[in-house]
Amino acid sequence: MDQLNLEKMGIPTVTVSTTEFAPLAKDTALGQGAADLSFVVVPHPMGMIPLAEIRKKAEMAFPEILRAATHSKAETKFPPMKPAYPAAKLKLEGTIEEFNKLMFEKGFSLGIPIIPPTPERVTRMLKGTSLKPDKVLGFVPPRMGTLTVELVAIHAVMAGCKPDYMPVLIAVLEALLDPKANWRGLTTTTATSSVLVIVNGPIIYEIGLASRQGAAGSGHHANASVGYAINLIADIVGGSKPPTPDKSLLGGPGDFVCWIFGENQLALPQGWEPYHVDRGFKKTDSVVTVMGIYPPVDNIDHWSLTPEEHVNWWANLVTPLLSIGGPCWITQMEQPHIIALGPEHAQLLAAAGWRKDQFKKAFWEKARIPFSAWPKGCPNTDLLMKKFGPVRVDTPIPITLRPEEFHMVIAGGAGKHSHFFAPFPGCFPVTKPVRK
Amino acid sequence: MKNRLFKKALMLLIFLICWLTSVTAILAREIKQEWEILNPEGVVKIEPMKINPHPVTLGGKIVMLRWNGKHNGDKFLDRVGELLIEKVKDIRIIKSWEVAPETVDPITGSQERSQEFAKTIIKFKPDIVIGAQSD
Repeated sequence: MDQLNLEKMGIPTVTVSTTEFAPLAKDTALGQGAADLSFVVVPHPMGMIPLAEIRKKAEMAFPEILRAATHSKAETKFPPMKPAYPAAKLKLEGTIEEFNKLMFEKGFSLGIPIIPPTPERVTRMLKGTSLKPDKVLGFVPPRMGTLTVELVAIHAVMAGCKPDYMPVLIAVLEALLDPKANWRGLTTTTATSSVLVIVNGPIIYEIGLASRQGAAGSGHHANASVGYAINLIADIVGGSKPPTPDKSLLGGPGDFVCWIFGENQLALPQGWEPYHVDRGFKKTDSVVTVMGIYPPVDNIDHWSLTPEEHVNWWANLVTPLLSIGGPCWITQMEQPHIIALGPEHAQLLAAAGWRKDQFKKAFWEKARIPFSAWPKGCPNTDLLMKKFGPVRVDTPIPITLRPEEFHMVIAGGAGKHSHFFAPFPGCFPVTKPVRK
Repeated sequence: MKNRLFKKALMLLIFLICWLTSVTAILAREIKQEWEILNPEGVVKIEPMKINPHPVTLGGKIVMLRWNGKHNGDKFLDRVGELLIEKVKDIRIIKSWEVAPETVDPITGSQERSQEFAKTIIKFKPDIVIGAQSD
């Protein structure tokens, strides 16, 4: 993407990529219309090998780099684009098992059953939204598939959604298509990342979205089917399939059904506002907030009797696991991190008169690890010092540059657990209203 | 006589059971059907992008070596830079991480950030940029 932006500004480029990542790089370029972008491919890996070896790789690649830098490629012609609406019809034959097998072979499923998106089912699903079916919501990266409202309905059928869920699903997709969500980075990374959706407002109760015990787990139709539809769209319309362009090293359940729950607004302590009010909305508004995340850390605290004890435990548990930023990825320190506080932990804080800001400040001050914890090869030490101040080996480095970067929601039901979600680099929370 | 009748009745019973079982099995087998569905793939939008022509020679040119922060990318480009100076007359090499350390960020999936970096880099007026990406 960086080279593409340079090309748009009139600068010719050559991109050196490794064998494992060259297909992703070339697909990304093609998706942006840059089929003729110049690439040189070297054997994987470049990272985590000794200096002598990397210099040897550079020497082996040099003739090709020099040739690529002094030669221009012939212009590729693209075929004319077909209309995005209405969606083309397909005919398949077989039992329902055979249908699912064929759809998987075509790349039209994630490998688990889908409901056939017949024209009749899609028409019924479209009744759940007032938006016109030919409206284009955006282009799903990295394949840049055109996402019409009709296409959303097709995937909603496949995932087993009810028409009532369409407004929430559309709001989530509008949020993901916002550049701040960094959907492209999220779906092509090597990290075990996925999408987190937090829903606020009356819509939770209107469609029966789970917001209490086990809200992000199984047994909740609205949560599961919307979460499934989001990933179907990412994989099929966006083309984000493993092993390329989805480079996720291990992958995870979040690739099937993303994290999605309603904030447990009924369990908010006295005087605490719901998350969407913190984000600038009215209590009566229905909104979704979407962010790219790493898998969460489960903070199990059965023992603390004071907020100070609880913060101390939070800091010692979470910080070593999820301080990804610092001198390695300075971007992360400027991104919000989500603290999904269990209701009982929230009550512990509130009973002592604490509000969200107090917890954020106390946690920010405590949640630090020494600079020496990071590997020596981290590239952002100078930038860290510019933004944070001078550092020595024992300087405690916080997770974020400011306590305000911790966002708090009340999530789940009875029990002594809370969860901490670190953001995938470049992903910021995006909040969109739910429109019926 | 009674024995023969009994045997005939037994055989008839066995036949009836077998017949009923096979009919049930035939009825239970799922019926194939024709499915007419709407294609879930969506049409790809590609706006062709014109790629800038490369210089015929790097002699007398400014070459920016651009590192995105992934481990060893700078070391790789250091060696490329050394070889360019060795082999190409009057070349000027600029290393992005030395002149613009704020552009060293391994994850520039954010379009906004990527555009910022590009604007910073073009201030150095490179004739061509050689970038080392990925792991």
